[in-house]
Amino acid sequence: MTPTPATLALRRLRRHPSFWIGGGTLAIILVLALVGPAILGLDPTAQDLAHRLIDPVWGPKGGRAHLLGTDQLGRDTLARLLDGARISLFIGIATVVVSGTIGTLLGLLGGYFGGRVDMAVNFIITIRLTLPVVLVALVVVAVVGSSLTILVLVIGLLLWDRFAVVTRSATQRLAQSDFVISARCIGASTPRILLAEILPNIAGPLIVVATIELAHAVLLEAALSFLGLGVKPPLASWGLMVAEAKSQLLFRPWQIAIPGVALAILVLAVNLLGDALRDVVAPEGRA
Amino acid sequence: MGRFLARRLLVTILVVLVTSIVAFSLVHLSGDPAVAMAGEGASAADVAAIRTLYGFDRPLSVQYVAWVGKAMTGEFGRSYYLRESVVQVLGEHAPITAALGALALGFALLVSIPLGVLAGLMRRGPIDRLASAVAVAGQAAPSFLLALLLIYVFGVWLHWLPISGNATALHYVLPAVTLGMYATPALLRLTRSGMIEVMQSDHIRTGRAYGLAPWRVVIRHALRSAIIPVVSLAAVQFGLMLGGSIVVEAVFSLKGLGQLAWESIQRSDIEVIQALLLLTSLVYAVLTLLADLLNALLDPRMRLS
Repeated sequence: MTPTPATLALRRLRRHPSFWIGGGTLAIILVLALVGPAILGLDPTAQDLAHRLIDPVWGPKGGRAHLLGTDQLGRDTLARLLDGARISLFIGIATVVVSGTIGTLLGLLGGYFGGRVDMAVNFIITIRLTLPVVLVALVVVAVVGSSLTILVLVIGLLLWDRFAVVTRSATQRLAQSDFVISARCIGASTPRILLAEILPNIAGPLIVVATIELAHAVLLEAALSFLGLGVKPPLASWGLMVAEAKSQLLFRPWQIAIPGVALAILVLAVNLLGDALRDVVAPEGRA
Repeated sequence: MGRFLARRLLVTILVVLVTSIVAFSLVHLSGDPAVAMAGEGASAADVAAIRTLYGFDRPLSVQYVAWVGKAMTGEFGRSYYLRESVVQVLGEHAPITAALGALALGFALLVSIPLGVLAGLMRRGPIDRLASAVAVAGQAAPSFLLALLLIYVFGVWLHWLPISGNATALHYVLPAVTLGMYATPALLRLTRSGMIEVMQSDHIRTGRAYGLAPWRVVIRHALRSAIIPVVSLAAVQFGLMLGGSIVVEAVFSLKGLGQLAWESIQRSDIEVIQALLLLTSLVYAVLTLLADLLNALLDPRMRLS
């Protein structure tokens, strides 16, 4: 039996080191975010002013009660780090669902129908690209108020452009392919052709875009929270933790380094996974 | 070429018009900006006074038309917080951001073009791996983290460079590097892939077959074709950096447009916010237009699509 393209792709993926490093790191972060807080059993929002600014366990005055120390309000850094992982992952995944849906739908419509529909889709993409992401996100959050739902919606409504561009060009290619024409000939409805014939065939590139935009969303949330207009205290976000520790740069730089490195590792893991998927999905583009 | 130009210009005007509607609507999302401007604990009479003073009691469409009409004549109202005309406020802050953006782009090009060219010429070699590491790191490091790291290393630890404000040219070094790193990965990747593509093309092979010196082939012939898309991407990246400079300016206390945007958002200075949204979009639209025109000039195939 000849292997299907999907099995071939999986086989290539299994041999790709970036897949194991990126995917493995991401899996570890995911597990830590899901079960970590329960195992640690410390409240990430509980303040304890008597035990503030404790060193991490490797520091001169560190202890085992707070493995990564405490912040300026005496909150346990490890507990906040784990809670922050939940928020970063939630925002990243939820945002990609929103932006992926918007972008894919627009791209499918533009690529399949062409003509005026495509012109309209292209115009909407241009508008989106013209709007400055960070500025618009800051303004909306400042005006409407900040909650996790609003952050997901705002970031999701801003980061769909790559989905639309990729879906559009892939759909254009497939719209004239034999299997799509056959489906049309046997009287399949347009939604059926778009969702059951075309969509599964462009899933590969879309998954690659999803990893790029997930990393993008995580970074954007961190930047917004760092600027004080993202996740609101007392919730723990890695961007917020860095902002809160900014004044400690001189004497306790690890307070910035701990959430900062966590953020960089998460983004790096997602990017590595995306690179591996890209190599597998579009090996001809591998230079 | 004339038709292409006219079409592209028309699209740009439409895009700017729609973004102006978005810029206007965003600050009115909450319904009544007067409440935010009056601040906490303001009396109903104060809010009502602000509402009539700024004309927020008029229908939104009327307010929008009045705002756009004035914007077209270069009039953006007054900042209620700074008590200056918005144009004046923008004029004070714009040079700093423009300088920061130009330096950042310069840094990004200085890193990405030589590194990208060498990586493309010596694929899978050590320089290629270095280039790939730079691109991956530049993409993964959040700019505020990179900024704080640079402050720690070059300001606090080595005492080489100033870390806050914009008193001297040296104050721009760290912010420009931070912002430049943000633009580097895309430019680097494009230079590298352009180089790889062009080195495999016919005219390079011919040049080599004629026995031209390798450096001559690379610099005079390959680089020239590989650099075209990089130049237009650089224009687009410059537009993106105007938006990206908010974080960098906030960390380094540079009083540019980014800092102005951040502060204006916090004090609900809506005339300034609207003007900044429109201005940033306009600059981006014009830069992409110029990039497209450049591409069309250099590559005739583009004019047909």
